[in-house]
Amino acid sequence: MSALAQIPILPLLLATPLACTLLTLVVPERLIKPLNATLSALALGLALALALGFDATTGGYQFAFVRPWIPAFRIQLDLAADGIAVLMSLLNAVVYFTGTLTMWSLNHRTREYFAFISLLVFGVFGVFLSRDLFAFFFFYEVAVLPMYPLIAVWGSTRKAYAAMKLTLYLMAGSALLFPSLIALYVLGGGDTWSIPELARRGFDPSVQVFLYPFLYVGFGILAGMWPLHGWSPTGHVAAPTSVSMLHAGVLMKLGAFGILRVAIGILPHGAEVWAPVAASLATAGIIYGAFVAWRQTDFKYVIGFSSVSHMGIVLLGLATLSADGTRGAVFQMFAHGVMTALFFSVVGFIYDQTHDRDIDHYGGLATQVPVAGTLFILAALCGMGVPGFASFVAEFLVFVAALQAWPVLGIIAIAGLVITAAYLLRVLGKALFGPPNPERAGLLDLRPVQALPRVILAGLLLLFGFVPQLALDLISHIGAVVK
Amino acid sequence: MTALAPELAAAGSAIACFAASMARGPGVPRLTARVGVLGALVTLAAALLALTARAEPLAGVYVVDALSQFLKLGIASGVLVAALAATDSTSLRPSARGDLPTLIHLGALGMMLLSSAVELVTLYVALELSAYALYVLAALHRDQRMGSEGGARYLLFGAAASATTVFGITMLMGHTGTTQLTHLGTAPPPAALLGLALFLSGLLFKLAVFPFHAWAPDAYEAAPHPAATLIGTASKVAAIGILVRVLMAVGHSQLLVHLLLLASVASMTVGNLGALLQRNVKRLLGWSAIAHGGYALIGLVVASERGRAAALFYAVVYVVIGAGPFLVVTALGAGGRNPDRADLQGLARRSPLLAALLLVGMFGLAGIPPTPGFAGKWFLFVAAVERGAFWLVLVAAVNATISLYYYLQLIRDAWTGEVSPDAPPIVLTPSMRLAAVLVLAATALLGAFPGPVWDLAALAAGGSLPQ
Repeated sequence: MSALAQIPILPLLLATPLACTLLTLVVPERLIKPLNATLSALALGLALALALGFDATTGGYQFAFVRPWIPAFRIQLDLAADGIAVLMSLLNAVVYFTGTLTMWSLNHRTREYFAFISLLVFGVFGVFLSRDLFAFFFFYEVAVLPMYPLIAVWGSTRKAYAAMKLTLYLMAGSALLFPSLIALYVLGGGDTWSIPELARRGFDPSVQVFLYPFLYVGFGILAGMWPLHGWSPTGHVAAPTSVSMLHAGVLMKLGAFGILRVAIGILPHGAEVWAPVAASLATAGIIYGAFVAWRQTDFKYVIGFSSVSHMGIVLLGLATLSADGTRGAVFQMFAHGVMTALFFSVVGFIYDQTHDRDIDHYGGLATQVPVAGTLFILAALCGMGVPGFASFVAEFLVFVAALQAWPVLGIIAIAGLVITAAYLLRVLGKALFGPPNPERAGLLDLRPVQALPRVILAGLLLLFGFVPQLALDLISHIGAVVK
Repeated sequence: MTALAPELAAAGSAIACFAASMARGPGVPRLTARVGVLGALVTLAAALLALTARAEPLAGVYVVDALSQFLKLGIASGVLVAALAATDSTSLRPSARGDLPTLIHLGALGMMLLSSAVELVTLYVALELSAYALYVLAALHRDQRMGSEGGARYLLFGAAASATTVFGITMLMGHTGTTQLTHLGTAPPPAALLGLALFLSGLLFKLAVFPFHAWAPDAYEAAPHPAATLIGTASKVAAIGILVRVLMAVGHSQLLVHLLLLASVASMTVGNLGALLQRNVKRLLGWSAIAHGGYALIGLVVASERGRAAALFYAVVYVVIGAGPFLVVTALGAGGRNPDRADLQGLARRSPLLAALLLVGMFGLAGIPPTPGFAGKWFLFVAAVERGAFWLVLVAAVNATISLYYYLQLIRDAWTGEVSPDAPPIVLTPSMRLAAVLVLAATALLGAFPGPVWDLAALAAGGSLPQ
């Protein structure tokens, strides 16, 4: 522990994917995949070390690493991790590592692909670990920009359209964030970008009520907030496997993280005033996403709309502004991230063989490809919030908090669980257990090496389902925003 | 001597290029181009050397201060890229090839004199020196219909703007009895405001902002690619720099601020909407330059020291991020053709270096980190919000989102398109390769560490006019 404290773990964690980007551009072709596997494993190791080294009993920001960046504006590279950041970094590292392994068979412009992926991961780590508002937004945009080429070049199904739609939606969100983040700095005294410091200083109530919607919507677009979620399912569908995993698993969490850390964190009064609106939109998202997922025939669209629905649960938990609701939301961010990554990695595996994602064209996958089928079933059970899986505890916390805050919305949101079960069971019934489709008899199952990343993800879902304290201890210091 | 080193280097380079172009033999264009590159390197070195120089060679007429030296550094950087691009001037008819480097350096000399001029007549002469060089550069393709037409249009518009400038200067002089910028005082008499507005409109023409923007797409399209590079980079630095100097001297009256605000918002909107419709890459860059002129004006609208510094910083950032796309155009537009979006198809396979340059340049123009375009916009926006211009920043940020649409389309063409079988292989000269690497390195460095250049810009905007 004390030895660990000597290592500048956060800069190392941030530098690993950046080094990976730069090295990927120069190493010989055959070393690209081993290099990325090694460095993503290193990032995972560092994230684990961070989680183990984090002192959950004291909480707060730890492992601080502060260096001046642009002195004239008092902008700092201010890295520090609290429990939420630790959990999210772990999620990012897990999805980065498993995503890299799932792309082992990629042979189309590998160099650029892995360079963009590691740049994206670099940005995501930067967002989770930055306490400086400028750095936060800098990394936020670094994380978003590689999505365009990743989908437009390596994607499928209307990839150019999906990539453009995604980028423009997210940048429209950034357009709202630009003036509001700077306004926080200017109104906060114009001498610090530090998020905790700005939160401590507090803002005029009228300012809070004015600025909060800008920040909420700006970040909310990336979190898949209904009704501005339109970019997300199309983006999921078009993206290649590991990009879908990172996109739904981690990138959407950046939006929720931004809402929690910046919007709610700095403007608690604004959050309180707007909470009913936020909660209503979140509930609408839960129900809408689930209903639309029910009617989809494309595997990835089902998962894409389920993400809208599940992220609605996150946003509902955040909107309660209570300790339990926020903890549940953060845990759900983690659980949903791992679960969606598992979903996309299994679907991607099947799609790579058949180039077909129509659910009606499949049947009996559970017998045709038992390993992949089992993993898919595990992900679906987690999606339904079955006890024993990580999302059960998370959703439970959110719904209890929601029922306390808004009984009616809470009941509607819980009804969404039934629809979720309905659409996931429909997929399971048709594709996994229905009569086998003879045309698909030649499907190959996962080889042990291919199964490894997926098994890690499924294992995490069960581990955090049975021992939720692993995550809840990390975030036990989250308090109610509004007492 | 050190104080005037950049100007002397630019003048020397122009003379050396001219002398080289007088030689006889088939290797002359190449020789001239090389002399041009060498001269640009010397000029850049001189600008760096003279960065901290402070002098008043002609009191009240010509000063060497933080602002002028900062601008000269930006101009010299743009000239280096243009001179490197000029090595690839096979597209020009042979008799004009020698003129290209000569005129680039002559234009640079004019821009450098402009950045140091603090007296209206001197300022006007310097403005014309740079303008004449650019007029000729824009019309070098006089054997082609488009070249002569675009060049003539630029010349006519430019002459009209010059006349407006002179008219404004005479009114200013008549009402204040002086031609020295410093003596115009912080509040010129109301009657002189019209003169000032006319004078400024001549300068806004150089920056190509609304409503003086119409020439830009035509001139970009008509000019040989290296000349367009100079017009698109270095001349913007000079234009923003001189606007900063004039506004610093005469102060910001309410009327001026309103006019600039109008020009700023209209430019970014008109520029971006215009660019949406373009298929020709150079015309697109021309329209996008109008939008960027509008962004830079934000720094002048807010009328604060930080705003002026942000505008100056943005001008230098624009040289770095704007140069890349022009280099791509130069490489693709062999034979003087103006590449359109179809020519970009499959660029990533034909030349990964150029595709990377285009990607970085486009993300830079769109203001996305880790390119310096992000810091440039951020600083401008901070200066604006500090003065309460929340909505102006929102309009600018929405505009940046709109611009992303056409920037991304170029990236998509370059990165996903299939190579057409009859596309000639791209051969990059060593100079072009060097230019591409330099631009990429500068982008990465300035994007990750904008601090030092910002400090220079802040110093330049600090009001160092001699009292």
